[in-house]
Amino acid sequence: MEHLKKLQSVAGLILIIAMAILLSPEDRRDGTIIFLTQENITDIFRQVSEIGILALAMTIVILVAGIDLCVGSMLALAASTVALLITTWDPGMAPPVHIGIAVLGSILFCGFWGAVNGLVIAKFHMQPFIVTLAAMIGLRGLARWLTDNRNIDIGFGQDHSGIFADLFSQKIVVIGLFVLLAIFFHILLKRTVFGRYATALGGNTQAARVAGLPIARIQVAVYTLSGLMAGLAGVIHCAQNHQGSPNDGVAYELEAIAAVVIGGTSLMGGKGSIVGTVVGTLIMGVLTNLFRLRGVDTNVEMMAKAVIIIAAVRLQQGRKTF
Amino acid sequence: MKQLFGIFMMIPFLLFGCGRSAPEGGDDVSISVSTEEKPAYLVVFSQCNNAEPYRAAQNHLMEKLWSEHENVELEIMDAQQDNSKQISQIETTIRKKPDLLIVAPNERGPLTDIMGKAMDADIPTLCLERDIVEPNFTSFIKCDNYAIAKSAGEYVEKYLTEKHGEPKGKIVELRGLLGVDAEVQRYEGFHEVLDKHEGIEFVQEAVADWLQSKGRERMTEILRAQPEIDIVYGHNDPMAVGAYLAAKDLGREKEMIFIGVDGLGGEAGGIKKVIDGVLALTFIYPLCVDKAVEVGHKILSDPDFVPEKTYVMDSAMISPENAAEMYEKVTLD
Repeated sequence: MEHLKKLQSVAGLILIIAMAILLSPEDRRDGTIIFLTQENITDIFRQVSEIGILALAMTIVILVAGIDLCVGSMLALAASTVALLITTWDPGMAPPVHIGIAVLGSILFCGFWGAVNGLVIAKFHMQPFIVTLAAMIGLRGLARWLTDNRNIDIGFGQDHSGIFADLFSQKIVVIGLFVLLAIFFHILLKRTVFGRYATALGGNTQAARVAGLPIARIQVAVYTLSGLMAGLAGVIHCAQNHQGSPNDGVAYELEAIAAVVIGGTSLMGGKGSIVGTVVGTLIMGVLTNLFRLRGVDTNVEMMAKAVIIIAAVRLQQGRKTF
Repeated sequence: MKQLFGIFMMIPFLLFGCGRSAPEGGDDVSISVSTEEKPAYLVVFSQCNNAEPYRAAQNHLMEKLWSEHENVELEIMDAQQDNSKQISQIETTIRKKPDLLIVAPNERGPLTDIMGKAMDADIPTLCLERDIVEPNFTSFIKCDNYAIAKSAGEYVEKYLTEKHGEPKGKIVELRGLLGVDAEVQRYEGFHEVLDKHEGIEFVQEAVADWLQSKGRERMTEILRAQPEIDIVYGHNDPMAVGAYLAAKDLGREKEMIFIGVDGLGGEAGGIKKVIDGVLALTFIYPLCVDKAVEVGHKILSDPDFVPEKTYVMDSAMISPENAAEMYEKVTLD
């Protein structure tokens, strides 16, 4: 049964890709199928990378029967922080050192807030939905407060900010990070004690407690990971947009959650896979690309996504419901 | 598995069924979307946000004007005020190798790179209304926000001098999305004229993101704090109208005058608000679309045509005296 379900999301992706090939417009000059061009395929990967990176960590959060609603705000926080550190802070260091500190600092800053989420959830036994909802509001405020409500623009020259933007907006860097992290998370989940504990905790909290699993530590680790990934996605977001905007990333958490559930991870916890999440992310990405290639209204794109989410989750349920 | 196929088979219908419909407007020559005979030219308009009335008016005029040219297929993509989305949409558009790309950039910095990529791909690219950081466009069709804001400032200077016998008074300014070129220019031009008078005080400069709802919210707070206000200057008409609504709620709308910018036609536009006595003044911020279509069409049809790097569009002040006449002129259809 598990195998069949995994096949379903992959089959869904294959179907959508087949459809994209069939329905893709052709190049008006040489007749090639635009969807299949190397440029277009890499565009898709680049475009899904930010949401994809959020979704990787979100998979583990959901696996432990949690949810992280603040990753969109965290992305904005990281984008703002890294832009501020690079444009307004001048430590007089060489570019690689300055950029390295700014990037790592921003990511760790988000990791810190993720750890705070995890601690509040674990120690006060509060629902993740409520804790991360509060964080979503608070961190958005923090990002706006730090930047004084402004977008921090990144330069185009060969100064530190220009170098930073050029480096972190390159397709190979953006896609490479997503792919490497997907492999890392897959191994983390399937091959480590932490992964087995997380799955067990999500499957049955009571049993996990009785078995003496370090529940608090697992929860803190999971939300810290989510914060770190949101931070990294924020850094990439800042570089790609040439600006750190405290207002960006709205509803990104929902897109990440959508990718996770399309990939077959259960919101009840205990069941899910990184492969599924990557597939879910790509289903959304390919679909968006196809709609844009055909010049379909953006609003129709949103409606179609709604149908896909419902359809995918209905299929994951199998026939045992009611 | 049957269900799976059933659901996924729906997608082609969505794609075909909900494709762009031909524009309205009753023209004989409509934009062709038939699949058998491909139009000779593909024109893509990347719009930053359909939800603003000014942008909707741009789209409407764009569809109307292009439909007058045969063999042109127009696609409008809505970025929903999201830089990342607009970048991705243009990126995908470049793969389609359109004959002309028209971009109304959401923000200066983020869109600069991708428009450069369109230029690198030899796609003629027109930048509409908002500037970008580097000149990555074939032509920039601009409106002079600074000049508009200066005229607004000069009017306020005169109005306050007449009201108080000297240039003094209290002004509330409602600012658009910070960092956007239009916001910066509409701010600086206004202050250029008024900051030199010591008696003129900006009691609040609130940010309302171009939105009527936010204009209303922010103005409600300001009214609570400020017993005296002479002028409300909104960086666009909706924010000024929002401020008017807030003042009306508290019965204070007669104490001050409301000035906006954009001056769109139609029932919902700023010119109608001047006719209705809501706004004392607005300034037409040209849609730039007529120029874009004119220049774009020349680029498509005449290989020898060399467009200018920048075209500046004219504005006009709308007061109760000329509002009715301008309303007829500007309102489409």
